Amino acid sequence: MQNPVTRRQLMIDSAQGLGGMALASLLYQQGWSATKSPMRPVIDPDEPFASRQSHFPAKAQWVLMIFCSGACSQLDTFDYKPELIKRHGQPMPGAEKLVTFQGGQGNLTKSPWEFRPRGECGKMISDLVPHLGELADDLCFIHSLTGKTNTHGPGENFMSTGFTLDGFPSMGTWITWALGTENENLPAYVAIPDPRGTPQSSVNNWGPGFLPAAFQGTDFNATKPLRNLARPNSIDPQTDAKTRSFLQALNQTHLEQYPGDSELAARISSYELAARMQLSVPEVSDLSKESATTVAMYGADDAENPLKAAYARNCLLARRLLEQGVRFVQVFNGAYQTGGEGVSNWDGHKHLHEQYSKHGPVLDQPTAALLRDLKQRGLLEDTLVVWCTEFGRMPTFQAGASGRDHNPKGFTAWLAGAGVKAPFTYGGTDEFGYQAVENVATVYDFHATILHILGLDHERLTFYHNGIDRRLTDVHGHVIHDILT
Amino acid sequence: MASSTAHADDAIQLGRRAVIACLIIATGVMVFSACPVIADEVEFSRDVLPLLQKHCLDCHGPDTAESHLRLDSPVAALRGGDSGEQAIVPGKSDQSYLLTRVLHADAKQRMPPDAEPLSREEIAILKVWIDQTSHWETAKQELKDRRLDHWSFQPLLRPAVPGTATHPIDAFIEQRLAQNQLTLSPSASRSTLIRRLSLVMLGLPPSPDRVAEFVADDSPQAWDRLVEEMLASPHYGERMATPWLDLVRFGETHGFETNRERPHAWRYRDWVVQAFNADQPYDQFVRDQIAGDAWGADAATGFLVAGSYDLVKGQDELLRLTQRQDELADIINATGTAFLGLTLGCARCHNHKFDPVTQTDYYALQAVFAGVNHADRALPMPAETQQQLERLDEQLAQLRQQLMPYLAENRDPATRKRPAVQAKENIERITPTETRIVRITIQKTNQSQPCIDEFQIFAAGKNVALASAGAKATSSGDFVHPLHKLEHINDGRFGNARSWIANDVTGGWVQIEFAQPETIDLILWGRDREGRYADRLAIDYRIECSPDGQTWELLATSADREPFATDQPSTPKYDFAGLSQQEQQRGQQWLERLEQLTATRDQLAQPILVYAGTFSQPDPIHRLYRGEPTAPREVVTPAGIAALTSLTMPADLPERERRVALADWIANKKNPLTARVMANRIWQFHFGTGLVDTPSDFGANGTRPSHPELLDWLASELIDSGWSLKHLHRLILSSQTWQQASHPRPDGVKIDAGTRLLWRFPPRRLEAEAIRDSQLAISGVLDLSVGGPGFSAFEVEAENVRHYHPKTHFESTDFRRMLYMTKVRQERDAVFGLFDCPDNTQVVPKRSRSTTPLQALNLLNSPFTLQVADLFAQRLQREANTQPEQIQWAYELCFGRSASADEVAQATDFITATDLQQFARAMLNANELVFLP
Repeated sequence: MQNPVTRRQLMIDSAQGLGGMALASLLYQQGWSATKSPMRPVIDPDEPFASRQSHFPAKAQWVLMIFCSGACSQLDTFDYKPELIKRHGQPMPGAEKLVTFQGGQGNLTKSPWEFRPRGECGKMISDLVPHLGELADDLCFIHSLTGKTNTHGPGENFMSTGFTLDGFPSMGTWITWALGTENENLPAYVAIPDPRGTPQSSVNNWGPGFLPAAFQGTDFNATKPLRNLARPNSIDPQTDAKTRSFLQALNQTHLEQYPGDSELAARISSYELAARMQLSVPEVSDLSKESATTVAMYGADDAENPLKAAYARNCLLARRLLEQGVRFVQVFNGAYQTGGEGVSNWDGHKHLHEQYSKHGPVLDQPTAALLRDLKQRGLLEDTLVVWCTEFGRMPTFQAGASGRDHNPKGFTAWLAGAGVKAPFTYGGTDEFGYQAVENVATVYDFHATILHILGLDHERLTFYHNGIDRRLTDVHGHVIHDILT
Repeated sequence: MASSTAHADDAIQLGRRAVIACLIIATGVMVFSACPVIADEVEFSRDVLPLLQKHCLDCHGPDTAESHLRLDSPVAALRGGDSGEQAIVPGKSDQSYLLTRVLHADAKQRMPPDAEPLSREEIAILKVWIDQTSHWETAKQELKDRRLDHWSFQPLLRPAVPGTATHPIDAFIEQRLAQNQLTLSPSASRSTLIRRLSLVMLGLPPSPDRVAEFVADDSPQAWDRLVEEMLASPHYGERMATPWLDLVRFGETHGFETNRERPHAWRYRDWVVQAFNADQPYDQFVRDQIAGDAWGADAATGFLVAGSYDLVKGQDELLRLTQRQDELADIINATGTAFLGLTLGCARCHNHKFDPVTQTDYYALQAVFAGVNHADRALPMPAETQQQLERLDEQLAQLRQQLMPYLAENRDPATRKRPAVQAKENIERITPTETRIVRITIQKTNQSQPCIDEFQIFAAGKNVALASAGAKATSSGDFVHPLHKLEHINDGRFGNARSWIANDVTGGWVQIEFAQPETIDLILWGRDREGRYADRLAIDYRIECSPDGQTWELLATSADREPFATDQPSTPKYDFAGLSQQEQQRGQQWLERLEQLTATRDQLAQPILVYAGTFSQPDPIHRLYRGEPTAPREVVTPAGIAALTSLTMPADLPERERRVALADWIANKKNPLTARVMANRIWQFHFGTGLVDTPSDFGANGTRPSHPELLDWLASELIDSGWSLKHLHRLILSSQTWQQASHPRPDGVKIDAGTRLLWRFPPRRLEAEAIRDSQLAISGVLDLSVGGPGFSAFEVEAENVRHYHPKTHFESTDFRRMLYMTKVRQERDAVFGLFDCPDNTQVVPKRSRSTTPLQALNLLNSPFTLQVADLFAQRLQREANTQPEQIQWAYELCFGRSASADEVAQATDFITATDLQQFARAMLNANELVFLP
């Protein structure tokens, strides 16, 4: 670890910066039940982001989620199907009954990329992602994920919030609500959108739903800094400092009228915290301190592929955030904001080869470097890495097109780092990679497992909303114990 | 254990005797009710309980009620479990789920699991038990009573006011305070009171002048006058609308992935504001929102469809059905939570776990709302407009008559052309011709493959092309799409969604073969009779007929039409050439007048749209096992919640009448929930927390009221005042409880930190809207115009999937009250969204109130704050001369009080070191500004 004391030091700093005050009042007011269930976090309104105990000892403290927006094909990356190669060009048995998004299906089509054994384990991974392939020994694959929808928006909602509908809290919100953060000088939960824009479901992927808004993901990336963080250019630093201290003086005078009022005190603290964030966020976002070797490892200096370089910088930013104790970091690869189907995301309906030839290199080296970097710094020991996408794709090409339609019946995700076996492969799809048949797992199971690794019981981490104790996993989900260390 | 088993065995012996005797009599017919004498002998505790004990109660007993099903008493069995399947249908053993499961052929489904099936005799006992109806009546009554045990289902009775306090509200509050050795706090200062009142009732700070006037007014009526002033303000309705719109999940985009705009949704918001301002009786307010289309309160039904709506319909049938189920669940849930404080949505998949709402109730309510569709609806045309249109039409007809001789086609038959083809409808008049097949061949369209929504061929006024008349359609080839099918060409239905498209961009043909030869005289065809689409229009075509498919005769063609031009609607052409100057002039005048009146008419006839849903008679509704659209069970007829009302409706009741009936039950003073729920919301409006702090859950999973009698007293006042909300406000505002100071007191903090007992007025951070509106009001730029379409906080990127980018510069049109900020789902305002302002994707009965560093950063550094701070500084300079005066004025504007000498000195030092803008920026961020005192 480059700077092993950072997190600890910051925890102490932030603890000293804030005094304990009467809190019960705010607990009531904010609808956070302190007494109803021992498994709900007790949130100190003065320090809503303070680190909190998990339900049981956790294997991982931090989460890095890499989300490939647009539905990244399992068949062209990680789910090797010799039968598909063998029967390339033949009709798929039962194809006429397939439920598809865009209509008619053509024949079975092998991946345009070769698969070859990788790592010591010999896991078959395609040439589309050779750098990730090199890490095969560190990865724990789930090939049997199943979803509930074959439409992107609901699919992204489902993967990020556990519900296909809008308005439910994102996984990162649940986790930061439950666990707080280790560094209050940075947002507890950071969503890093792709350089090209936001994913299909946009802010739903990191939204708070009905959980307190304080726990939503804060979105910024290496290109687009945190909105309204910086002191406005029109105001010089001395003036800005004077204004903030004048404001605090105003607030102190006012507080004298309300001695011990925790909500007022919390708001005063929030301005102090904001000031520290103004220092710490630019610092963590400043990639210029990274060595040339590191920059090159990520591909952040790739002049020939500026998009890859931009995504690589996001990956670097992610590592720096995790290093500083940010609880949940969500990195997006692929966007819908610029360009539609397949253009800047993994939605390869019509021209899979052409489109994935662009997307593969953007994802591959930087993501692999991020994993390597976390590993070499010892961060992987307590960080869970999650790679996922909203659903998979068909083993057939669409009728009259050279790409694959949506398929939620069997797709791949992988985990790495704290709490999971590696190398490991769990579950499998049928001979063509169409449908999960072995150890079929749901997205609920996937979520339950992630929470479990963080020491959280998915059935007991609940929030009362409109008559229902809501969970990330609704009323479903089983922890996939087989993949746990 | 051993002894009870032995006992059970004995009992079974007894029971078996009774049933075996019966079996013999019925000789296999299995109709046990046919042997009443024997059946009478089956008694629950003697014959049934023992066998249940043996096989069922380990899992479905009082200790472990799996799926919440208990079988240890008739009442428990009658209640059933979570699944919503009726374990017992009294008198109908063949429909009882209990028997279905014990008799199940599949061992995995059969009860008890992993055990021997019940014996024939045991099953026979169960059948007799279920089929003998006599004893179930008691169980039914008992079940109903037990379900209604909960406090909020009790009839509303006006409680006596305790003690001797002068104000009933204070009496209730002081009673509980006294029980906790607490008292009310002293009155707040007059400057605090007017500021608090204005922020609570209007969401705006009071003007310094009004503060000064009130502080100086020592008349005993001063307060009441001020309260009346607030209640009469048009901004009162705006303030009330804010929580109401949260509650009914009102949004101005559809949500989901495309998140397109709903440009006509604002009329519902205006309706809410006006209803509150007019103090519309609350019962009528409820009725209007559920069924206002029945009596002309059309915009009010915007409530029904205020929620999200997925525009992208799945291709898969199951997904589509699920989407529709989700839409209806949203309406049912919003209705239950907003008006009844019941979380009805829970019963979609299983019986409600806490409240007396069964799955059947849920689907009965679905049958009430199943005819509601998400869409804009045209408001009925006002009679006055109708009359105006009629007058205009008369004038237009007269003008056309006058101009008739000058029609180009009438002047020179050689150049006479028929009007160009139109997307909506085209007329082909035909010399009566007897034929069997009619074919239209399209050689060219304005764009893409040709589309025809309906091809109508008339013989003596009758459309003989209809499939229902036996006609058969064939084509050169069809475009494959669920909306576009060959069978749509002659299905009698119009519009793009029921149309045919050819599979070839270069053209194609479609033909109709009649059942027998017909003498046809008219053909009508269009691309989209609903007028939404104008592409794919056949602009070069010929229509032919044939008796046998061999020889063809031309009936009509585009050749004698005016050429098609995209931007020019085909209108009659007049030709005044060669006429006398006088005649020309007169003709021109008529023509101008014609054009003028036509424009006026078009303008006037423009329908006023509101996103308030459309209605259609629904198909029968089935209960869905586990809420799965693929598992329909019995048909459910529309009804209220059975445990709470006897309201039932016939299966074929017209859609609207269903909603009217439901609305009448909800908005009834005998309904124990409606008035209590709303009285509680008003209390929450004033004190931040309701007497019940789960404001949309008055069921068993919600919390009990902190002051039950006070709640019932307020609810009674609401009803007895003719459901006047302003009456409730007056009562609350005149209490010492409301007027007391908000400062913390050690005794209060110690005993009741949450201030639920109200030993002080609970201070709290203002909501997002009140902060933004206050900042603008203080800066002197707030546009207070009431109603109308809103303004956007975003630059909208109008792709298929909409993207919303926060504005960074603001015009005066952005300075309206935040209530009018277009409510974009998923995307919250860049600054004020952080202050817990919801996006209304879900119903929000109560906002969270968080304090975060991102709020601080945005309120300090956002372009909005900086721009407003500049405007505030300019106002100070404009309206006060010296710096001390500017400081004083700022304090009065921001905090509603004057600055102390110390404060002036401190501010002077600060401004000297910085500038007035920075002073303005700091003031706009101050706690004293953003907290309700």
